[in-house]
Amino acid sequence: MRKAARIQEQESISSDGAIAVRVEQLTRVYGGEGQAVTALAGVDASFGRGTFTAVMGPSGSGKSTLLQTAAGLDRPTSGRVWIGATELSQLSETTLTKLRRTEIGFVFQAFNLIGALTVEENILLPLRLSNVRPDRRWLAEVIERVGLGQRLRHRPSALSGGQQQRVAIARALAMRPEVIFCDEPTGALDTQTAAEVLALLRAVVDEQGQTVIMVTHDPVAASYADRVMVLADGRIVRDMPQPGANRIAEELAFLGRPARAVR
Amino acid sequence: MIRLAAQLLRRRIGSALATLLALTVGVALLTAMGALLESGVRYQPGPGQYAAADVVVALRDIEFPPEEPGQSETTVALPEGGTVPTGLIDKFRQIPGVATVAADTQVAVVAAGPATGHGWSSAALTPYRIIKGDAPTGPDDVVVDARVAGDAEPGRRTSLLVAGTMREYRVTGVAEGIGPPSVFFTDARAAELSAKPGRAAAIGVIAAPGADVAALAAAVGKLADAEGATTYTGNDRGRAERDPASAEDMLMAVGGSFGGYVMMLVGFVVAGTIGLSVRHRRRDLALLRAIAATPGQVRRLIVAEAALLGLCGSAVGVPAGLLATVWARDQFVERGFIPAGFPMVIGGLSTLIAAAGIVLLAMLSGLVAARRITRIRPAEALGEAAVEPARSGKTRFVFGVLTLGGACTAAVFAGGTSGSTAVNSAVGMLYLFVTAVALLAPWINRMSAWLLSPALRLLWGSSGYLAGKNLKASARGMTTVLTSLVLSVGFGGSVWFLQDNVLRQTVSQNREGTLADQTLVSPTGLPAGAVAEARRIPGVRAATSVRRTSVIVPGDSPASAAALAIDPEGAADTLDLRVISGRLADLDADSVAVSRLQADSSGWKVGERAEFWLGDGTPVALRVVAVYERGLGFGDVTLPRKVVVGHTRWELDNQILIRTEPGAKVDKAMADLAARYPGSTAVATAGLSEQLASDLALSAWLNKLLIGVMVGYAALAAANTMVMAALARRRELSLLRLVGVTTRQAKRMIHAEQIGLLGVSLVIGGGIAAGTLVTVVDALTGSPVPYVPVLGWVSVLGGTTVLALGTTVLPVGRLLRIPPIHNIGVKE
Repeated sequence: MRKAARIQEQESISSDGAIAVRVEQLTRVYGGEGQAVTALAGVDASFGRGTFTAVMGPSGSGKSTLLQTAAGLDRPTSGRVWIGATELSQLSETTLTKLRRTEIGFVFQAFNLIGALTVEENILLPLRLSNVRPDRRWLAEVIERVGLGQRLRHRPSALSGGQQQRVAIARALAMRPEVIFCDEPTGALDTQTAAEVLALLRAVVDEQGQTVIMVTHDPVAASYADRVMVLADGRIVRDMPQPGANRIAEELAFLGRPARAVR
Repeated sequence: MIRLAAQLLRRRIGSALATLLALTVGVALLTAMGALLESGVRYQPGPGQYAAADVVVALRDIEFPPEEPGQSETTVALPEGGTVPTGLIDKFRQIPGVATVAADTQVAVVAAGPATGHGWSSAALTPYRIIKGDAPTGPDDVVVDARVAGDAEPGRRTSLLVAGTMREYRVTGVAEGIGPPSVFFTDARAAELSAKPGRAAAIGVIAAPGADVAALAAAVGKLADAEGATTYTGNDRGRAERDPASAEDMLMAVGGSFGGYVMMLVGFVVAGTIGLSVRHRRRDLALLRAIAATPGQVRRLIVAEAALLGLCGSAVGVPAGLLATVWARDQFVERGFIPAGFPMVIGGLSTLIAAAGIVLLAMLSGLVAARRITRIRPAEALGEAAVEPARSGKTRFVFGVLTLGGACTAAVFAGGTSGSTAVNSAVGMLYLFVTAVALLAPWINRMSAWLLSPALRLLWGSSGYLAGKNLKASARGMTTVLTSLVLSVGFGGSVWFLQDNVLRQTVSQNREGTLADQTLVSPTGLPAGAVAEARRIPGVRAATSVRRTSVIVPGDSPASAAALAIDPEGAADTLDLRVISGRLADLDADSVAVSRLQADSSGWKVGERAEFWLGDGTPVALRVVAVYERGLGFGDVTLPRKVVVGHTRWELDNQILIRTEPGAKVDKAMADLAARYPGSTAVATAGLSEQLASDLALSAWLNKLLIGVMVGYAALAAANTMVMAALARRRELSLLRLVGVTTRQAKRMIHAEQIGLLGVSLVIGGGIAAGTLVTVVDALTGSPVPYVPVLGWVSVLGGTTVLALGTTVLPVGRLLRIPPIHNIGVKE
């Protein structure tokens, strides 16, 4: 019960501002001397509450690294990250995990679920690990929204790829996090199923006021977002309100050519 | 966390089977070893013969002070049992509070069954009570124990084999008592028959009613210490009656020293298997870390799982281990290692310790494996999930290199020394090499992959190319396989074949060294007169009496060594010990001959004096007159009979070696001779080696059983790991086939991998085994070429092939029959 109280407290602090996630002068360098690779070269960005942002860019542009450092899965080489009002750089690995558990939801491209657990157990896993009693009403609503009421007792292996992604979204929503990070959530899905999953993400932003940050390379997927941020060589090169799938594709194509020509 | 662990475990019990199997068999082995050790340690030889005595003074072992301060002293049980001076009796009688003092003078007797003869006064120490008749009074009078009385009645005459000679005695009484069966003479007669003037096997003191026993024991102890004897009181009195080759020592040796190796092996196998199973679940664990679990939670989850598996393993393994102990006990009894009624502690405290130990071991292994996973950040873990991490501990490498250095030093040392030092350092070298391989396994695997890659490519083309890459990538995962196989081949190949070598050498030395064509053997013993009678038989060129005894020789740690006491007269015609320096004919009352092995171990040379202890603890310093080669077949020390007279338990010889003139017909005379010494038989000498061989085969059986258990468990660990690894390759194999590798190529790739991995293990294990075997066999027999039976080669190579086929080739073959597209979406 005490933990639950603390979580509520944190939520109230973070809800004071309108910014869900902020990064400042974020850099990330991989590897040691001689063969160092700069994945992020000083990124500044803020993500407002209740917004849906698509992060795009060619392979190696640093978009996944941005997502991982912003979500506390990886530590930046320098720079700072805020989730709500909390700055991550000083937190221990355990505190960081606890923050991720309550404030951040994740949806990865594939292998999102623990194969040994049923759909329901997967959804409840973060609650269980943090010893929080599930809010039954909210869970029922989440399950209703992702449309998996009939499949709660099934194992992930019995579900289609789209259904598995919906379970992952339900799990991300279960803790009512500050922000949901998605890393290519539709990358392994067919067009029809991808559309369903994206519509679901759009709906949680519109109806629950959830914040979603999604890495994708698919202009159609990006067209579900409010804002499109394009990275190249570890820097933000475009940051614009979502202009439609065709326009995004053009932007990306334009970006790709000179980059290759230079090399 | 435990509930979540149980849930995860229940759903993936298939993949946890390997770990469960390793734990179950491991706990069964530990339980069995623990039960043997506990039975030996807990055994209390309660007083029997001396039950009525309050204090017993005897000499049963000899203590050597530690070589360096801080070490514990070495205690060696006297192989022939010591004696104490009967002069102590009068001194004890002066002590206030003493009611009775009696010396126990012992004589070998065969009545209706084997018995021990005593003087009548010692009957009070048990006590023996006469149920019929009276105490003995004359030299021909005896009181017989009811258990060996047969049809003897007071007043009747009975024939007894006393000290090897058959004689008629008058039965004056029948008595009842406990302890080993007894026959009583008068004290004077017993002293005369025992032929150890002024000495007795033990002296018992009975306190007067109401006397202070502790004070009395202290007073007795003070006097006894002055004579170098030990004072036993209370339950310890049983130890004064103990047989030096006792069952509890054997059980403690098996359960303790061998159990220690089993413990190390189980620890290594369990740690390896749990480590591998955690590594195979990296992706799940990384996901857990990413979505919600703190490093502590992941650690607790893995540790809880390991604990649950340990408990399940114990539930099956403990009963299995107890059953194995019962089986082992029956086998030991059947083969005469322990008496039938020996109290075994089956299911005692050691069982609890074994079960708790395996659970702790599993948890600790889980913790170590979990730490490797939780140390890395979730993002890295997710990225790395499918590929094995390249890191291997620096500490491990350093320790591995140090151990390897130690092993090489031991190898150089073993090659440069001789005798038992060489044997000991060769065995030390074996353990060090195997440990070094276990520690360095990841690097050995990587290195051999690098070295073998060109060869594999040449032989198997593109399949070989892939095999080389796979060997390199799975270097860390396959450490358990390499170590287990090296251990199996290294241990099995050296210790197992060593038994065969020793057996073969012993028998052939004994056969070639025995020039006699007839032998009179007697399990009950032959008196000194027999050899003279044998020499008088017409057609007998020479006869040599042989008494098998043991002496205690100095060394790194003093130990008993097999010795032969012979009558040197005519020995050159009956025995050929293959003397390499000196002359056996020079053996007189002040000299000794020793084997090359013993001479090298103790640093004795011809012409110098050898200092050692006879079987009853008497120190001697004898001139070395000869050094001989055939120590295995006859014994490491050869003494003239005169030296051991009065220093063996009984004044009896075990056999008489007889050499006849060519063409002489002595069968009739030999049969007559045997008839005059009841219990003896005349045999053609050829039969004797066979008897020796079957005795040796018995101890070889025990060694082989123990080594078989270890090798079996190590092979199980290897098989386990290989099946786990093979089944985890589903996705990889499907992917290979989807990019165009044919089923045939995939199979060839697997074959090439197996040949690479198992070949390296066989070469390293075989090298270690050969090195150990050559060193030990050279030290023991003087010939550097060990004998390895054809069946040995076949079983090592065949066993490895079966292992490869059963654990990898067949499972992978099944995987390859499934259309690849079914597996590509499967999570590993």
